[in-house]
Amino acid sequence: MNLRVLRSAFVATALVVTATPALVVAHHEPLAKFDDKKPLRIRGVVSLVDWRNPHAHVFVNVKTGETVSNWAVELESPIDLEASGWSKTTIQPGDQVAVTGIAARDGSRQMLGKTIVTAGGKAIFTVNVVPPPMPLQPHPTPKWPDGQPRLGSVPGGVQGYWAFPSATALVENGVTAPMDEWGLLKNIADAPKVAPMQPWALQLYKERQERFLRDDPMYLNCKPPGGPRQFQLAYGVQLVEDRVRQRIFVLIGSGNNNYRIIYTDGRSHQGQVGGDDENPLFYGRAVGKWEGETLVMDTRGFNEDFWFTNGGLPHTDQLKLIEKISRPNLDTLKYDLTVDDPGAYTRPWSASWTLRWVAGKEMPRHLCQENRS
Amino acid sequence: MKRLGLALLVAVSVFAVPTLAQEGHPLKGSWLGTWTGNKIHGNDVLLVMSWDGKNITGTINPGTDNIAIKNATLNPEGWLVHIEADAKDKSGQPLTYTIDGKIENLPLANRVVTGTWKDSRGDTGAFKIGRQ
Repeated sequence: MNLRVLRSAFVATALVVTATPALVVAHHEPLAKFDDKKPLRIRGVVSLVDWRNPHAHVFVNVKTGETVSNWAVELESPIDLEASGWSKTTIQPGDQVAVTGIAARDGSRQMLGKTIVTAGGKAIFTVNVVPPPMPLQPHPTPKWPDGQPRLGSVPGGVQGYWAFPSATALVENGVTAPMDEWGLLKNIADAPKVAPMQPWALQLYKERQERFLRDDPMYLNCKPPGGPRQFQLAYGVQLVEDRVRQRIFVLIGSGNNNYRIIYTDGRSHQGQVGGDDENPLFYGRAVGKWEGETLVMDTRGFNEDFWFTNGGLPHTDQLKLIEKISRPNLDTLKYDLTVDDPGAYTRPWSASWTLRWVAGKEMPRHLCQENRS
Repeated sequence: MKRLGLALLVAVSVFAVPTLAQEGHPLKGSWLGTWTGNKIHGNDVLLVMSWDGKNITGTINPGTDNIAIKNATLNPEGWLVHIEADAKDKSGQPLTYTIDGKIENLPLANRVVTGTWKDSRGDTGAFKIGRQ
């Protein structure tokens, strides 16, 4: 191996680290698996590029003395990598690379790659996912012939979906509690401020946080993102209105690609699942009605087998959600939520955020695999 | 023989289902285990508990002994569990059980409560139940 080349690559790596935005936008909390207190640099020869969801991996043979050890470098998902112009042939087995990142918590030869630089000094697999630019003048809200706002695409117009939520973790309106995009608090002392939790719920929330959200059932077992979480995920949602059958489908881009149904035919919460009416569900039972230009959804009947927020706020089967969706212009979806769960919280509380219309694109197809999400 | 095979298949299928953590109130659900040395109600014990937002309610050995839980608390500081239940001994005399324990492996599917049980006659022993 040409040490001079690799030394140059490391210099380039250092420059890249300071010159580029963070390239990791993983769809789950990376600190659950990797330790940001353990920075790591390796250099070696690529042995394999594993290009598949939920994360691409580059395997690198690292020579130390006479010993060669193989390291797995975890990258973003192929969805984000390909959106940034990279492919599985960007590097090939046999190529020399220098990698910086952070090491796995369990001491195994795995790392989260923050920069990868080729022997030629080129930084690769950088990801920079940004929302589409807002037009200077907002486009008007698309509407059905009867004047009701359309929540999805316009017939004859470009397709699209909703993504880039302005908040990716649930916090009560008016509360300042800094956290990362996966809901991990910067300061655990802020935990009591996030929502009005009962003592048991607060302690459970704190313990989930202290374990870096590693017990998240969506991460471990591909459990669905029920409740408001579906509107805070990386790969967005698509709202499909079936006006004939009077229901709205919420297609979910992340997780295991399942969907939620909101019935708008005036039915009650009972009797929507034939023969199984009392069985609590991951998405609960949602009924909706239009109040002016706002869709108001009332959902209850949730089970307790999932996390309804990215940060691990607990809920019980007494959870009732009132969600209000409106589309003030073509590019913006406004989402207002009231959480009413007397089993876990001391009072009802609210949160709000917006999503952006991603025009002209299909919702990314991201598949969850247990223990690999 | 065919019936035995079918029964075995069903049993294997049931036990092959992976246990998933229940993410709501930590005590809610069915718990199976032992209260060692209990001469009156046997070594094996089943608890079914619920949470209404204010109180933990439930039954010990539903369907057989039907011992209603009179009082139960969960202290999140250390996840300490305290349960009191009024039962009857074999002669029909009142008997009060007191169980004190601690939830272990809280975030995991194999969550357990370990501790001790005692009754109003002075009998006592180890107590251990696992979330089903």
